[in-house]
Amino acid sequence: MFNQFGSTAETLSKASAAVLRIGTDAHLYDDPEDVSIAPLLDSKFESEKCEALKRLLALIAQGFDVSNFFPQVVKNVASQSSEVKKLVYLYLLHYAEKRPNEALLSINYFQKDLGDPNPLVRAWALRTMAGIRLHVIAPLALAAVGKCARDPAVYVRKCAANALPKLHDLRLDEHAPAIEELVGILLNDHSPGVVGAAAAAFTSICPNNFELIGKNYKKLCQILPDVEEWGQILLIGTLLRYVVARHGLVRESLMLSLHGLESNGFYEKDGDKSDSFDANLVSLVSKCYIEGPDEYLSRSNCVDTVAASFDSKETTSVGDNEDVKILLQCTSPLLWSNNSAVVLAAAGVQWIMAPLEDVKKIVKPLLFLLRSSTASKYVVLCNILVFAKAVPSLFAPHFEDFFICSSDAYQVKAHKLEMLSLIATTSSISSILREFEDYIKDPDRIFAADTVAAIGLCAKRLPKIPTTCLNGLLALVRQESFAGDLESVEGEAGVLVQAVMSIQTIIERDPLSHEKVIIQLFRSLDSVKVAAARATIIWMVGVYCSLGHIIPRMLTTITKYLAWSFKSEASETKLQILNTAAKVLISAEVEDFQMLRRIVLYVFELGECDLNYDVRDRTRFLKKMLSYKLACHEPAEDSVASQESIAAQVVEHVFGRKLNPFSPLNLHNRFYLPGSLSQIVLHAAPGYEPLPKPCSFVFEEHDQLSDSDRQREARNDLNGSQESSETVDEDGSSEYDSESYNGSEFSSDGDERNDANDAADPLIQISDVAVSTDPEELRSKMALDLWLDEESSTSNQTPSALDRNQSSYAKISIGDVGSRVKPKSYTLLDPGNGSGLKIDYTFLSEVSTASPLHVCVEVLFQNSSKEPIVEVNLEDEEAMKVSDSAEQTLVGKANASYNNVPTLIPMEELSCLEPGQSAKRLIQVRFHHHLLPMRLNLHYNGKKVPVKLRPDLGYLVIPYSITVEEFLATESRLPGMFEYSRRCAFTDHVKDTRMENGKDKFLSICESITLKVLSNSNLHLVSVDLPVANTLEDATGLRLRFSSKILSSEIPLLISITVEGKCNEDLNLTVKINCEETVFGLNLLNRIANFMVETSSSAS
Amino acid sequence: MLQCIFLLSDSGEVMLEKQLTGHRVDRSICAWFWDQPDSFKSLPVIASPTHYLFQIVRDGITFLACTQVEMPPLMGIEFLCRVADVLSDYLGGLNEDLVKDNFIIVYELLDEMIDNGFPLTTEPNILREMIAPPNLVTKMLSVVTGNASNVSDTLPSGAGSCVPWRPTDPKYSSNEVYVDLVEEMDAIVNRDGELVKCEVYGEVQMSSQLTGFPDLTLSFANPSVLEDMRFHPCVRFRPWESHQLLSFVPPDGQFKLMSYMVKKLKNTPLYVKPQITSDSGTCRVSVLVGIRSDPGKTIESITLSFQLPHCVSSADLSSNHGTVTILSNKTCTWTIGRIPSDKTPCLSGTLALETGLERLHVYPTFKVGFKIMGIALSGLRIQKLDLQTIPPRLYKGFRAQTRAGDFDVRL
Repeated sequence: MFNQFGSTAETLSKASAAVLRIGTDAHLYDDPEDVSIAPLLDSKFESEKCEALKRLLALIAQGFDVSNFFPQVVKNVASQSSEVKKLVYLYLLHYAEKRPNEALLSINYFQKDLGDPNPLVRAWALRTMAGIRLHVIAPLALAAVGKCARDPAVYVRKCAANALPKLHDLRLDEHAPAIEELVGILLNDHSPGVVGAAAAAFTSICPNNFELIGKNYKKLCQILPDVEEWGQILLIGTLLRYVVARHGLVRESLMLSLHGLESNGFYEKDGDKSDSFDANLVSLVSKCYIEGPDEYLSRSNCVDTVAASFDSKETTSVGDNEDVKILLQCTSPLLWSNNSAVVLAAAGVQWIMAPLEDVKKIVKPLLFLLRSSTASKYVVLCNILVFAKAVPSLFAPHFEDFFICSSDAYQVKAHKLEMLSLIATTSSISSILREFEDYIKDPDRIFAADTVAAIGLCAKRLPKIPTTCLNGLLALVRQESFAGDLESVEGEAGVLVQAVMSIQTIIERDPLSHEKVIIQLFRSLDSVKVAAARATIIWMVGVYCSLGHIIPRMLTTITKYLAWSFKSEASETKLQILNTAAKVLISAEVEDFQMLRRIVLYVFELGECDLNYDVRDRTRFLKKMLSYKLACHEPAEDSVASQESIAAQVVEHVFGRKLNPFSPLNLHNRFYLPGSLSQIVLHAAPGYEPLPKPCSFVFEEHDQLSDSDRQREARNDLNGSQESSETVDEDGSSEYDSESYNGSEFSSDGDERNDANDAADPLIQISDVAVSTDPEELRSKMALDLWLDEESSTSNQTPSALDRNQSSYAKISIGDVGSRVKPKSYTLLDPGNGSGLKIDYTFLSEVSTASPLHVCVEVLFQNSSKEPIVEVNLEDEEAMKVSDSAEQTLVGKANASYNNVPTLIPMEELSCLEPGQSAKRLIQVRFHHHLLPMRLNLHYNGKKVPVKLRPDLGYLVIPYSITVEEFLATESRLPGMFEYSRRCAFTDHVKDTRMENGKDKFLSICESITLKVLSNSNLHLVSVDLPVANTLEDATGLRLRFSSKILSSEIPLLISITVEGKCNEDLNLTVKINCEETVFGLNLLNRIANFMVETSSSAS
Repeated sequence: MLQCIFLLSDSGEVMLEKQLTGHRVDRSICAWFWDQPDSFKSLPVIASPTHYLFQIVRDGITFLACTQVEMPPLMGIEFLCRVADVLSDYLGGLNEDLVKDNFIIVYELLDEMIDNGFPLTTEPNILREMIAPPNLVTKMLSVVTGNASNVSDTLPSGAGSCVPWRPTDPKYSSNEVYVDLVEEMDAIVNRDGELVKCEVYGEVQMSSQLTGFPDLTLSFANPSVLEDMRFHPCVRFRPWESHQLLSFVPPDGQFKLMSYMVKKLKNTPLYVKPQITSDSGTCRVSVLVGIRSDPGKTIESITLSFQLPHCVSSADLSSNHGTVTILSNKTCTWTIGRIPSDKTPCLSGTLALETGLERLHVYPTFKVGFKIMGIALSGLRIQKLDLQTIPPRLYKGFRAQTRAGDFDVRL
């Protein structure tokens, strides 16, 4: 009947479940592939697209790879429906790294969305764009983050802060300063939400750039309580690290309190002072917090380095240090936070920094955390344990909070037990022991065994209680040995073993006074059946065989008993019996000696024919060692031969040694910062950083003037026309009002107000990306051709503004530098890898004969081995495979007409290369992407080696010869987001100008710059302008213009280099590129900036 | 920061994976995790050979997060708890089917809640505005039209304000605010029948539907009984520090204003007197339950549950009031309900031990459950709730209830 009912109930519940599932996405998850997804993606209905995307997500959720739909999905990024957009973004982020080429297609849509008036759309676009993690678009993403960091919507700024670690993760060194700059800006935001996210970015990007914190320290402390909980966690840690780095540890704090504790009134009424504070441990803890894993490892593994060597200069005091006081003040209310992680972080600060008497206030909040979820409870307990180890008295009055309740998880129970045994005091021990008695009867026997171990620990810590403990334990041993009859009860044996071991730990402190206990244990041998427990007791017989008066008299009986039971013992016990027999024999009294000798001989005989080879080995070993004892008839004969005395000494050394008390401190003498992952897993997790060295950061006061202020001042000095009436204040929200934000920053015509904002922001001045649209600058550019006879009065705000002071320009022409241009060569194959074959390649400026898309590369083969190398050839790897259709279509999109051209026009095969011989060959290559290397296969001597031919951006352009006028006209058509500039240093000329004294300095500077540029890229030099009014030494204002076209698309690309600085010193160059193809342009800009900085030999 | 979040069903199947950063985590880590021995698997923080794992288990669903670098483990765990809370709130519970059926919503929520491994929007009120929870109407709509977007087009107004928990300008025709004291009593009675620990964990739960930007002040008549407390982010610390006043701008709708502990209570409302005698392979059990100190209100839904020790082979238990059920995993539950006026509920019977065992040497622990409406056992009393500007048609309400938390009676 019940069955019947059950089945009805089952169908009912099934039916109701089916009803519930109507309208959910259940069918999509269950059968994601029951319809063909591809046509749905191309559907014109949003709902069908949506369904297709949901099916794809279902497949992702189930672990299938559906990246082959990527091209179709990317198309839908343009959808207007927010749901489709969200789903596409989810998909994109999952696969972008796998399909970088297709992901690039979506960039334009992100750019467009970034200008959307809806902040949610902007935020999504930014998140996704930064999240697709392609090196190629990193400059664009950085520019977008820069823009969004100044967005009027808090949510967008918050997303910008979150995007920074994503960019940092790409490890592009050239962007690092710009990213840190942005972190600084966002840390200075007036909205707590943004500051929280910025703190997270700070922690993962530049946790040791304390200057950024120093600038805003007070403000950060004030804003801390309003920051979102997750941000608080990291911000607390950051502030703590800053204060330690700046001011050092606090003199009154626990970390530095080795002496003089009594005077602090720290102990309250608690009776015994000895165990309330472990000074050694505390100093060890504080040492561990400060020193990294390397130092820890280099330090010898002993604990005697107690004297913590903190220089008094490296410490500070709460009383007279404002920063420390603020930190403590702003973190202490956070002990009431709803988020356990915040509470623990705040407690960590108090623990390290607070004066000794204030540390107490972390106790109750920490105990409250024990009422949270099981998982949190465990982590909190792990941390409390460290606190309690160092200062048991802190938690001693609250022992009741660590009483175990039946719903605790096993790990929590184990930690609570450890805690109880740590904090037990003479006043609380009786209650704790009563609890322990209850735990021993718990059905969970492993837990019961742990309890027995904890009793041992308690008894060891508190010397007054052992008698009670021992009686209890002995009773337990008796009781357990009955229960132990039944082997079926799992874990029962563990309790007994643990009980015996606990008794042993207690006894070993003072064996003499516990003689009776030892005897009782020996007597119980008969009833104890568990091998491990028996082995321990038998071992004790050996250790304590000469103790007191009664035991030596019992020895013969015990040994007889052992010999009698030897046959039936487990091998573990047998080994102990053998050991004990040996020890007993050595310490035997004269009257018992003969008797014992016979028993031991008997045991050894039994042992020699045991089934277990360990037992047999041990027997033989002992027999050999003790042969002198076994042979002689009197125990203490003086006339032993010399070799026998050596044997006796060895035996004495092996068996007669005193037990070394074992200190638990040695086990876990490594501590990590409270709340850290490393403290839980007990090893330094990657990325774990100890506290910074005290006072390692020297704060320079003048830095307090924030960058933007300085910038503004500088600009005001320069520029009288622009009054300081402009209200740009980094914490006033006025500039972010929605009126000024018209969402068109990425279109070519931004309004005046925006420009003012852009210029006011330090980002533009310092970072390498400038997307500002600046009509004023534009105007000045158009007027450039009139500059020869008219003074420029327009005010410029970009770095090129520096030439405002110069009145007129002279054009200079440079002689033939072409002969001195030395193209750079790259290594394709190292002779080490190629068994003596060395291959270098150089990009040529010649135009390819095959198609305009190809680049000519000269390959130089050199045989540096002793053998001739035959049949050397290079082949395209792709040509062998079936070409990937998706890739073809992508490349083909831009230049459909050249689609059928092979990517590599192969070279003539080298039939043989004699040792020492070298040969040049020409190959023509079409790169798929301007940053991605081309994979080639190198054949020689019948072998095939894959090699990578890396494109040089400088040669993916062709010279575009135009006049200056054309240059300027083109430049004026490419303003705003098509213009980017970067600054770099240049030093090549220094050598040059000094060597050739006769030459004009300006000329040689121009020459060396030109040479440098032309040696590294394929450009056309349009003009060189020299400011006429310059003094002889000042090269500022010198301007070189180069032009080129991008090889693949024939889009013009203009480069202007403006010089700043003195002739004989290092120069600062501003390189500006105008190009419609933003990605290519930015990458080329970075390339130029990089090679300008390199000091090359070609200039000399 | 977190690199990946997996949702595992109770059979170890990966239901969902959400990669958070570029460092992708292969789902094989879940298989590794699932194959670990139980004692290791149940650790909240696990160092696997390749990753550090944080896990919480909620209603049979394992939330697993991975990271490779140092980060506060509590942050990971608390975040997972938040995710579990939000999901169970959205889906009306948590189980394998619910997660699978609403996987799109789970994805959308996760995407909104965490960005690049760092929590982004975790405030439930804002999430509700961004991603609509599934309800009957949208379900029906999607059946009929095949299209119902649950993703909002606009950014919730609260997302950017300095009170992110509150939408900027909600409007209600009738303004209501209710305060509930919900308390849980934790107690331990040891084997000698002594009360060794008795404390109350309480929450002040509020439900507010107030127009505009209200500023509330809540005061207690006896704040000194509070041992320790934790606050919702909306509570200002200063007034509490100086006058023990709760001053705050409330979130809209349901929320937990604060939680508190009251310790060292003297009495439990119920007593449980278990007795057990064992001899020659059988045990006689009798348990009496009664009211120790009358709280003044009816004690409801009293239950008593315990795990029979392994060595018990069979049990025959009956009661003079309520029902007794013994499940196959040896969990015994005695549902009493209310204490009748005419008799003392008593559970009695015998347990047969496994053959060869004379006496019982391990004893179970009884977990007691009860509920009392209308009273806060901690004795905490709310004095008054003030609004700075009193809106028209304001209703204020106060309630209290106490239930058993970890109420253990050891035998």
